[in-house]
Amino acid sequence: MPGANEFIDLLNHNQNIIHKVCNLYMDNISDREDLFQEITLQAWNAYNSFRNESKFSTWLYRVALNTAISFYRKEKRKPVIQSLTQIPEHADDANNKEEQMQAMYKAINALSKIDKALIMLYLEDYNYEEIGNILGITANNVAVKMNRIRTKLKEESKKYYQFS
Amino acid sequence: MELEELKILLKEKLDTQHPKKSTEDISALLNKKTQSVIGKLKRSLWIEIIACIVFALACAAVGIFGKFASLRIYFSIFAFVCFLFLPVLWFLLQKTKKLGSTSLPVKSNLEFLIKILTEYVKRYFQLTMALIPLTIFTAFSLGYSDANLHNPELHNPFFPTLTGSAGSIIFGVMYLVLFPVGIYYVTKWYLKKFYGNYIDQLQSLIRELEE
Repeated sequence: MPGANEFIDLLNHNQNIIHKVCNLYMDNISDREDLFQEITLQAWNAYNSFRNESKFSTWLYRVALNTAISFYRKEKRKPVIQSLTQIPEHADDANNKEEQMQAMYKAINALSKIDKALIMLYLEDYNYEEIGNILGITANNVAVKMNRIRTKLKEESKKYYQFS
Repeated sequence: MELEELKILLKEKLDTQHPKKSTEDISALLNKKTQSVIGKLKRSLWIEIIACIVFALACAAVGIFGKFASLRIYFSIFAFVCFLFLPVLWFLLQKTKKLGSTSLPVKSNLEFLIKILTEYVKRYFQLTMALIPLTIFTAFSLGYSDANLHNPELHNPFFPTLTGSAGSIIFGVMYLVLFPVGIYYVTKWYLKKFYGNYIDQLQSLIRELEE
């Protein structure tokens, strides 16, 4: 496979991106593994289209989000969503910050696929212009959506944690 | 907690949270089979192309070596129609391959995906529906002419035989009504179940992006 070693090396250094996307979009380990595999395969198939015009990480985000958003899986019965990180078994022992963070994670989990993509890129320090380029929308549209998401997250996280 | 605050905490947490895959693990993943809709569609198209070639060759064989003239004509028509399907399926396969090897922005990717799936569903439905009148018309007309060929002394024996009893009339009418209606609804249901619902989901994602 020509270019395979180079690709594997690049992917190896940027695999955190795929893990983050998998954690954000999938609820259980088996689904995350499947999505990881799918993103890796899609990235490999599309690797010829990577022209070094953007950073490999940005290109990989695009491929990963495209795959995660269009990833189709028959709905299965599933337990209460526990994504991003596992909820501590003894919530009482967890500190205040941890509880707040868990509330925010749950709120992010409740977002739509598109909003999750926006929040992920925002948390990765991409600016609105860059987020717009990855998603194929304008920077203004990104700004409007981010304001909506902020409000949604505030409201949603209140369900899981009573902020003082 | 504000998002800005979460940024820092999340970075620390997520960077250490997952088990790192080795280069061997990644290399092994490259040899696995994709489960994406595009991957499945590609496989479906390959199967349909192969099935189409096999069926067309089988029909052509009957068309050449068949004992009765009616059967030879009937299967020759189907062999011809099958060969007409091939460029359509090939064209769709090339488009599907193209999408799999590019990295478009999310919105364009969704639009392209919808376009390919819609095109596939549309062509599949059109070709299936086109076969219904072709099947009925050729079966009846060839049955009619074949009966005449083999019984030249009888005048128009096919339809009198067909309309000779109430049972055969009912069977004929049921066939003419239930066969096309059945095929129509089964095809609609099949396409909706396997592609339609997914297309709807993708369309709602685009609407959300545009909002």
